[in-house]
Amino acid sequence: MTRYVLRRLALSIITLFLIILIVFLINNVFPSDIGRRLAGPFAPQVQVDEINEKLGTNDPLINQFGRLVKGVATFDYGDSYAQNRPVSDVIGQAFWRSMKLLVYALVLTIPLSVMAGIFAARRHGTVPDRAVVTLGVASSSIPEFVSSVILQAVIGVKLGWFHVVAKAPDGASILTQLSYLTLPALALVIVYFGYIARMTRAGVIAALDADYTRTATMKGLSTTQVLRRHVLRNGLQPTVSVVGVQIGYVMGSLVAIEKIFNYPGLGLTIFNAASKDPPVLVAGVLVVATVYMLATLASDLVLAWMNPRARLEVSR
Amino acid sequence: MDWKPFDRARATVGPEGLDLIESYSKGRINRRDFVRRGTVIGLSVPFLGAVIAACGGDDDTTSDDTAADGGSDTTPGTDTGTEPADTGGATGGIIRVATQKPAGPLDPVGMQDLGTYGIVAQCFEFLTTLGDSEMSPGVAPGLAETWESNEDGSVWTFHLRQGVKWHDGTDFTSADVAATMDRLAEANNSGLNGVIEAGSVDASDPAVAVFTLLAPNGNLPYLVSLYNAQSVITPVAYTTGTTLDASPNGTGAWKLKSFDAATGAEFERNPDWWGPAPALEGSVWSFFDDEGSMVTAASAGEVDTLVQFQFIGGDALFNDDNFTVNSFQAATHRQIWMRCDTGQFADPKVRQALGMCIDRQALIDTLFGGQADIGNDHVIAPVFPYFDASVPQRERDTEGARALLAEAGFPDGLSAVLHFGELQEIPELAQLIQAQAAEGGFTLELAGESLDTFYGAQWCPGEPADPPCSGAAELGIVDYGHRATPDVYLNAALSTGGVWNSSQYSSPAFDAAFADFSAAIGVEAQTAACKVIEEILLEDTPVIVPYFYNYISGFSNNFTGVRVSALGQMFLDQAAAA
Repeated sequence: MTRYVLRRLALSIITLFLIILIVFLINNVFPSDIGRRLAGPFAPQVQVDEINEKLGTNDPLINQFGRLVKGVATFDYGDSYAQNRPVSDVIGQAFWRSMKLLVYALVLTIPLSVMAGIFAARRHGTVPDRAVVTLGVASSSIPEFVSSVILQAVIGVKLGWFHVVAKAPDGASILTQLSYLTLPALALVIVYFGYIARMTRAGVIAALDADYTRTATMKGLSTTQVLRRHVLRNGLQPTVSVVGVQIGYVMGSLVAIEKIFNYPGLGLTIFNAASKDPPVLVAGVLVVATVYMLATLASDLVLAWMNPRARLEVSR
Repeated sequence: MDWKPFDRARATVGPEGLDLIESYSKGRINRRDFVRRGTVIGLSVPFLGAVIAACGGDDDTTSDDTAADGGSDTTPGTDTGTEPADTGGATGGIIRVATQKPAGPLDPVGMQDLGTYGIVAQCFEFLTTLGDSEMSPGVAPGLAETWESNEDGSVWTFHLRQGVKWHDGTDFTSADVAATMDRLAEANNSGLNGVIEAGSVDASDPAVAVFTLLAPNGNLPYLVSLYNAQSVITPVAYTTGTTLDASPNGTGAWKLKSFDAATGAEFERNPDWWGPAPALEGSVWSFFDDEGSMVTAASAGEVDTLVQFQFIGGDALFNDDNFTVNSFQAATHRQIWMRCDTGQFADPKVRQALGMCIDRQALIDTLFGGQADIGNDHVIAPVFPYFDASVPQRERDTEGARALLAEAGFPDGLSAVLHFGELQEIPELAQLIQAQAAEGGFTLELAGESLDTFYGAQWCPGEPADPPCSGAAELGIVDYGHRATPDVYLNAALSTGGVWNSSQYSSPAFDAAFADFSAAIGVEAQTAACKVIEEILLEDTPVIVPYFYNYISGFSNNFTGVRVSALGQMFLDQAAAA
């Protein structure tokens, strides 16, 4: 198991290096003038040249890339070009905000979706099953920016139950922060409920139809015991994989939700940095990639724990 | 007419003041314009009041009332919110402000967007500031208490307010003014370019700043006011590139308490401010990327005031009983520039033809719900006291446009790419223009991009550097914020070699007319010069100006006394909890 984890981490480092290279090339292959972007279109050229000189944007690309790799290796990303403060502060705060939203959304989504999937699977082919599937397809079909706006208008403005902006005042308690994050978290629930519920339903249906389930039932185990020891353990494996992949996506891709709820998480920060703040862009992409890889590694380890056959594969 | 005080008043003023008093007494300008112009040239409010009283008082019918339909009848370009000064509100409390996210660092010299203007204006102040009453609707004394010019307006003397301290405890003096103006001159500030140069300000007397101009200019008090946003007075120690958050300081009513470029800022009351103690303890500013979210936050009561919002998307607030909307006439506009030096639009007939395709009222009704003034393809907005309404309005005439195109060598019409930045209503404007222009023989392909790239790629590329903006696209739409005088529009955007001259327009007649306007002293002379400018621009049409739209702001009825300028500077020194 340890060898497996180390092997995966080593592969991750190679993946991250490739990501840095790709982002650097994309940022530099098209003509751009960072100094002009930062100084604005009306600044004198002298000022623009000073900025470019200070940032080293006129240096040969290989030198710039070398500095970037060295910075990443030493966790020193330098200062944000646009915000005049360390990139680690910018990304760190954005990451923490996204993490809070992610955890809150997962805490709401996973139990609800899994229970719905199990409920539907156990009533396979009946009206309740159809209802869950249809509801899931419908909710997944709604773009998150649409559900966000509707939630804001109805629950936030009309009913006044929750806040329409997601960022709580500095120093707010955890409960207050959660109340501010409820609407964007609900928007994510709407998006992911259907997807996770259907994956769970499919996995549980397959497990319910399996020989081992029939054997366990014929052996005299109670329904609860059969479900807990055999069905869920096998049926939830696709769900675990899906959740792992989605964590990485949620961390860095919620630009629309963050914009609508005015919540400067990692997605919006990366989006805003794309045109004029390469250090923040690179750092942000690396963080997202790292989270993605750690999340998939964690889901593989959970799968290994759940499935002895997978455990053998991991140990090899 | 009470001649005794009237003659006394005339005897005590210089030529410009005399010209203004004569114009008012003869009914050539109304009381509002008299007071506005009078404050600009340095006449005190009591003095102006005495002249008005001597002339027999109220006579607002003598000039056109330029307030836009649906707009509030407050002074153009400014807004007083509710009755200022005596707000009668409670002491204490924090107001929550929603504003667009600053586009760059809080650099007072280099800032270019309304989000940054608003933040910087909390801490720093101007020599002349927002007029705050019916009696001083133009500009009011700020860090300068009084000012006057010599006979031809080539030398202006500003008497500085005494006892003003910087937030760090040091004294404010004329050396700070001189250093600020030097920085602005070196940075080619658009408002002062061609007006001053480095070293133009004499600071030998710490209490007096004497400006010796490059050429006579009757509008200098406006050019060093809040309407030239970068002209905030900063300390001597500041250099170009120094930012407010890195070096918090200022003379203003508010001190910067915290700043996060991603989320917002907090300000606290400056107990040593020279003005009356503000009622509020401070303010919390939240930055928004998206205007829709800002409006939603106001509807839900999570912010108390919006620095600015648009009619499109903001209509919920117009119908909100808990929210006061302030919509006031301004010079904010969009220019559709066309290259006059090369390409398809080099022939003025083609430019005129495109202008004739535009249904301006339809644009105003669709984009602003009627809350705008019709433009006439020149930059003299109706809000300016020297706007001449006698110049014929260009009307929509698609058949005439086609005929002009044919004369210009385009019998089958013309195709072009219309570039624009994604800002506020401009994408919708581009679509409407595309549809309207099609009826006149123009086939326009739309090319929108983010502002980050648009300004540098299409509107005014850095290369080639000489002449400025000579790399601009053939056709595009650009935004211009409000100014209290048209100097910036005329100088930067339209003069030969202007730093923002995307159309590469070069007309000796126009340059001469602008010089006449700059040198003109008195409203009548300025109006005469503006008439010539309007006629030249209408004929040459280097740019199409379809409208001048109202500035819209608003605040919750839980507060009073919130004041805002059409350049996004919000003044909370008179605000209080209701």
